[in-house]
Parts: sequence; C-alpha cells; structure tokens
Amino acid sequence: MLRRFAISFLLVSAGACAWGRTRPHYGGTLRVEVAGDGIHSSGGLVLRLVLDGLTQMGADGSPQPGLAISWKAESSDHRWEFQLRPGVQFHNGLPLTADRVVASLNQSCNGNCPWTTVRALGASVVFLGDSPMPNLPWLLAQSEYLISLTDDGSGRAPAYYIGTGAFEFSDQDQGQPQDQSSSRSLVANDGYWQGRPFVDKIALSTGRSIRDQWLDLSVGRADVVEVPPEEMRQAQQQRQTVIGSPPVTLLALTISETGALANPMLRTSIAEAVDRAALFNVIFQKQGEITASLLPQEMTGYAFLFPTGRDLNKALELRGGLNTPPLTMGVEGGGAMMLAAQRIALNLREAGFDVQAADMNRVPHPDLTLRTLPIAGSDAAAAMEGLLRAAGEPVAVPRQSTAELFRAEREFLDRRTLVPLIDLPRAYAIGPRVRDFALGADGTPDLASASLEDAP
Amino acid sequence: MMATKLMRSAALAICIAMAVMAVAAPAPGPWDQPAAALAGQIAGILGPGPVQLNLHNLSSIPGNDVAPIRRLIEQDLTARGVTIGGAETANSIRITLSESARQRVWVAEIVEGDQTQVAMVDLPLAKVEQPQFAGGLLLRKEQIIAGSEPILAALPISGRLVTLEPQQIVIYAATPGNGWRVQQRVSIVQRLPLARDPRGVLIPLADGSGFEASIAGVACAGTGPAAGSWNVQCHASDDPWTILQAPILEAPAQGGAAAPAAVFKAFYNASRNYFVGVVTPGVGVDLPAFYSAALVPRAAGNAALLIDGVDGKVQLAENGALAAVAGTRDWGSDVAALHSGCETGTQLITSGSGEAVSDSLRAYEVPALEAVPVSAPLAMEGAVMALWAAPDAKSVTAVVRKAANQYEVDRVTALCN
Repeated sequence: MLRRFAISFLLVSAGACAWGRTRPHYGGTLRVEVAGDGIHSSGGLVLRLVLDGLTQMGADGSPQPGLAISWKAESSDHRWEFQLRPGVQFHNGLPLTADRVVASLNQSCNGNCPWTTVRALGASVVFLGDSPMPNLPWLLAQSEYLISLTDDGSGRAPAYYIGTGAFEFSDQDQGQPQDQSSSRSLVANDGYWQGRPFVDKIALSTGRSIRDQWLDLSVGRADVVEVPPEEMRQAQQQRQTVIGSPPVTLLALTISETGALANPMLRTSIAEAVDRAALFNVIFQKQGEITASLLPQEMTGYAFLFPTGRDLNKALELRGGLNTPPLTMGVEGGGAMMLAAQRIALNLREAGFDVQAADMNRVPHPDLTLRTLPIAGSDAAAAMEGLLRAAGEPVAVPRQSTAELFRAEREFLDRRTLVPLIDLPRAYAIGPRVRDFALGADGTPDLASASLEDAP
Repeated sequence: MMATKLMRSAALAICIAMAVMAVAAPAPGPWDQPAAALAGQIAGILGPGPVQLNLHNLSSIPGNDVAPIRRLIEQDLTARGVTIGGAETANSIRITLSESARQRVWVAEIVEGDQTQVAMVDLPLAKVEQPQFAGGLLLRKEQIIAGSEPILAALPISGRLVTLEPQQIVIYAATPGNGWRVQQRVSIVQRLPLARDPRGVLIPLADGSGFEASIAGVACAGTGPAAGSWNVQCHASDDPWTILQAPILEAPAQGGAAAPAAVFKAFYNASRNYFVGVVTPGVGVDLPAFYSAALVPRAAGNAALLIDGVDGKVQLAENGALAAVAGTRDWGSDVAALHSGCETGTQLITSGSGEAVSDSLRAYEVPALEAVPVSAPLAMEGAVMALWAAPDAKSVTAVVRKAANQYEVDRVTALCN
C-alpha cells in the first residue's frame, strides 16, 4: 500500500563510484530541458525556482513556514492572519512587505480566490472569507499563490517574474518576455532565506521535444530532462536514471452541465461508457493508477469504493432513447492526451454518442473536456479542495473524518460533471553528474537542493 | 449444615473463579476500539436482524490478525442484535480493512436490497519496528530532544544539553521524568546569509567550565552554569573553529615536527560547507579541503588525524604524510571517534553514503590504512546532519533531520558483543 508513496523511485541507479558519498558540493551549471515553457508547463518549474509562497508543503503533507513564519485561524476559519518573515528581499532588493504580498495574491487568482478579501495589517497578511477556509495554509503552498512583485518600484509591472526564491533570472534574461524565450539562465540567489542553492546557475532550455531532450541527455548535453508517464517504460528500457513521483495529476473528463448534456442520465451514461483500462494499458503504458475517485487510494484509503470498470450495457440503458446532437471534446495538451481523447470518443460512439475531439484552443465551448488536474500535496482535504478549484468548483472541503471526506466526494461525483480516469505521476531522467535530485510533494523538482558531482 | 457448607464452598469457588477471570481477562487490544466503533455504525444503519458478512484486507495488517478482527466485529455486532449468517437474508455487509499513507480506514459497505450505505472508521497507523542487527559491536541510539528548528550541533555538558541553531544557542536542563526543558536562549546575530547546508561546531572547553560555539562568521563562548544560568558571549569572527580537543602525538616529520596539541582548529569556508584544509597546529603535510576529522589512536600510543575529504576520499595524516584509507566506500561526510572500550577500545562512527533520506551510522576501526567495519549499520531514520564526540568520548552526539524537516538529537553508544 505504501509502495507508491515511497516511489520517488530510482529505476536505474547511477554507476558505483570509487569513493564515498560526500556532503553536496557547491557550484556548476545544471542544464535542464523541458517541452513547454517551464512556466505554464512542467508544474510551473520556473515559478517554483524563482518565487516562494507564504507556506510550503512539508514532506509529510503539512504546511510549513515559507514567507510566513506563523499563522492562526479565527472565527471558525473565516479569518486567517499570516505573520510575514522579517528581513526577506525580492531579487531586485525591494523588501517583502504585507502590501506587496497582498498585491501579488490579488493578481494570482483574479477574484476566484479561496478568500473574499485579503489585506495588509502591519507585518501580517489577513484573509477574510464569507465561507470558512479550513485548508488555507495548505492552499497557499500551491503554485497558484506564489508571491511575485506586481510593481517593480517605479509604478510599472515587471517584464519578468521577480520573487524571493532560490534563483533569479540572469541579467540577459530580464530583458526578454518571460513566456517567449527558448532558453533561460537562472542564477543562484546568494542571500536566499532558505540558504543559497548548491548550483551556481540553471540553464533551462524550453520547447524541446521529448526525443531531443533524451538525445541531449544521452550525449551529455543535458542533466535533467522530462519523462512523460507514457514514456516511463521506454526510459527504463533505455536504462535512464528516472526519478518519479507518486500520482500528482488526475486525468479526468469534465462534462458540461449545460447544453446537450444537461440531462444527468446522459452524463452518467458517458461516465459508464469510458474504458479506463484501455487508456491505462494502451495509451499510458500501465503507468499511474486507474481511478474513479478524485484522490488516490494512498491519500484517502477509500478510493476502492468507486468502481472503475466499464458498463456499456448500463451506459446504453441510461442513454435509452435520448437523442443528442454531435458532441465536442476539447483536449488540453497533445500527444498522449489526444490519443486518449480519440480512444474515449470511440468508447462513447459504442454507447451511441457522436463525439469529435479537438485541441482545446479550437473548441471554445466544448461539451466534454479531457484535462489533467493537480493533486497537490498529500493532505487529502486540501488536495481535494485544490483539485476542485482547478476544475472550476470553488468549494471548501471540511477537515473532518475520512467518512466526511468520502461523503463530500461522492456528493460531488454523483453530479457526473467530472469523471476521474487515471492518476498519473511526474517523472524526470537525470544524468550522472546530478545528485540529491528529489521531487516535491507536487512532483516539481527541488533544484535548489540538487548539486553536481563534478562541481569545483 | 452440609447444604450451608456446600453453598459457602460454591460461593467461594465462584468468587475465586470471578477473581481469576478478572485477572486473566485480556487487556483491550489495538483492534477492540475500532471494531466496536465500526460495529456500532453498522448496527445503527441496519438495526437488529440477520446479515451476511464478508471481510477483505487491503491494508498492511498481517494476515493472522484478520481472523481475530473479524471475530471482534462479529462479537460486537451480535451484542447489538445483528446476527451473522443465514444465506437466506438479503442484507449483507462487506468490510474492507484499508489504509491510506497516514491512517488505517475500515470501511463497511452495507447492502439492504438495492441500497448500499457506507460506514467508516479511521485509526492510526502503527509504527513498524525496525529489526536490529548483531555485529562485533552493537550501536544503539537514544533520542535526547526533537524539534522543528534546524540544529547544527549539540553538546551534552555539565548535566545540560547545549544546541547550536543558525540564529541562537539553546541550553536545556534535564528535568526528572520530563526529559529536557529549555533553560536559556541566546540569540546569535548572523552577519552572513544562511547556507543551504549550514554547519556549526560546539566543543567543550578543556577545563570543562564551558563551551565554544562556531558558525559561519560568528564565534561564541559560554561559561557556567553560575546561579543557574550561563554566560554566553558571541562576536563576529573569521578565526578557525576548534574541531577536536585531544592530544595529537605525532612522530617527527621531515621539515618540522608537529607539536602535541591540546586543541585542534581548522579554517571553515563560510560561503560553502567545508573546512579549507588549513589546520592549526599543522600536521606536517598539506591537507585537502575536508568535511570532518577525527583522531585515530595508534598502537604506539600516539594518534593520527583522519580527514573525510570534500572529494569523498578518506585520508590519514600520519608521520608527516597523507595516505588514503581503503574500505571507506560506504562512508558519508561525518565521522567522530567513540571510546567504547570494546575491541581495540576506540572506533570511528561514520555516517553512511546512501541517499540522505535513509542515512545510517556504522562503527569502524582503522588498524592500518584500511577501515574495517565492526558493527552493523544503525538506521537513523533521517539524514545525519552533524556528528560529534561527546566530551567523555563514550558516546557520539548525532543531529538527524527527519523527513518532515523535524530535527532530532540522538546519543549513540556502543555495546560490546
């Protein structure tokens, strides 16, 4: 049972060295390659390097002090006060103040926040909610709520991310639009409040195909590259050193409650018609875990209560004589996601639905959406709330018993607006120079704690 | 008369039997309470009547515990009027012993006709004891304190425990039956940014009257206790740190002999995490940068300096020369000497070279230029961040960072086998 929680697995170990393992060395440049831009992809890898949150997720899933050193809840979780860490500076030298934190938080969620208002109170940040916010310290550790400067000190919005994190954009990168550069240099923040990173610099190449990333790793031009879940088996066969996370994303089909699928019987029919096993075995090469629950079994202990099997007869029965016009399915991402969408469209055709899958950008108001949702951290209530928020369901999940959590989840899933399919891990392959490479609770690499074996 | 006697005997026998039963009644087991709680929920949903029961184990509960758990639940259900068995009943209960990473979850799916209801209880995951290994020497550890603040070094001295943190020195006093309580805190004004792998040293003064503390850019001296408190003074300093306090008796080397040393100091690279290799007094040979050092007693009564290098090499400085020590492939970066009295009397305790999350300590002897393990590894359940000999050298003090960024100070001692 605990196997998968312990699977920050090393699939192929690095070669044996002649001398003992030492404390980590300082220095050197770590070369990282990613397929996306590293900001909106790869779990916000760049953001995690440059920015900090008020809290950070501990290894046990509990919120640990970050830019806030302490916090307390009042009024039955309707009011939270976070005391800021003194002496912290942004990369451009401006001090961290409550006003700057509030400005960043107001920009981060654009009104769709877990809180109703946030305001500065001396060296504290106060969150007020019309509804209780029982999971706020956990939520504030998520990428969405990392703190960045919204004003560079001259009244203008910065052209790049300025945070308090372990790394900062190098001088030459600061002039470039942060979402268009194909390579970035991030340099170590010597005065970082959690301690200077071991490596001096991270050279990040963005927009690299997986094939190119692996080629670069094999010839020693890259140190850290991505391994999509569906490629993990192949990476293993190629004897790459692969570090994987526990499940950190949920592949899910969301169904619109309006339009052609407003009838809950039709939505249930769709949920029953999807063949998860085929997706798992064929598309995702048996990586991750088939699920019909929002959170993995390791987090709740009750995921087995949601049956994962396909019931085509029930799907046909539920659909009955109801007619539906041709449906559209938007797909977030390409590659395996598009293949999975096409496989689901075939499943649904067998149940009498005519579904056309297309890239999300080409379908403005889809009836169905195939997407991945984050499973952040290992705290079940907070992870469920974060996942539901990402799915557009801003509800507070109570921190009560497992039975209460189960009831809340079943109530939500019974609406059939979201069909969980597969829990997927995140994985990276590393070169022989890299040591102490570890993934955080959300599957993002902790590159500040990584070091290089051959550093001077 | 006879009847009265018989009645008295019978009453006495019943009293004795009841007393024996009371004495012999087993203490509540770990499963009694959750079994009763689940049975209570099931009975609340079903009410009295017959039911079929199935039980599955998806958890790490050993197989031979499953049948007793089932019996407990059955007994509790029966006591509440829910009778088990009867194939003719349409009601059934499917119980699953499940668990998450944090807790056990026992789930009952209660089927009445075409309706299924769910009952659930949580219970904590029991800690699995790690088996201990036997060897020439048996290392054992005892937790002294634990907390969430990073600890760089710890020193038991004069019935107190002194810990060095990045921004303060904390002095604990032992309280009978209550472990250690904080007696005094002294702030350290840090003038350098915190390092990612910060290090520090706490060394007792030679006369036992206090301690020296060193962290990057700051040196402190503490004396006491006087009137229950310690006098601790800190100042900015780039001076070398005292890392060892023992006589180092070295054979004369060509080009100058090293004198016996009461204390042994080394310059620390304040922006990194190692000693640069410049030591005082000198040992007659240039040393490379190193992470830790220890004195290895020699048969002739002198001692050689062993250094655990930044490059992973372990070397001995002896007779004005530097020689590599074989058999150190499993060594990490921390080493301390322990005078156990076992085997040759003194062993080196080293951290392991494995992944940081599963660090261990192991005892070695270095009779010549080869390290020979004399104990099995002692699992430390975290990353060993610092390792220093206690003032009496009969134990070593280890600082361990646990998975959840909790810090623990352990006293490690050895038993002779």
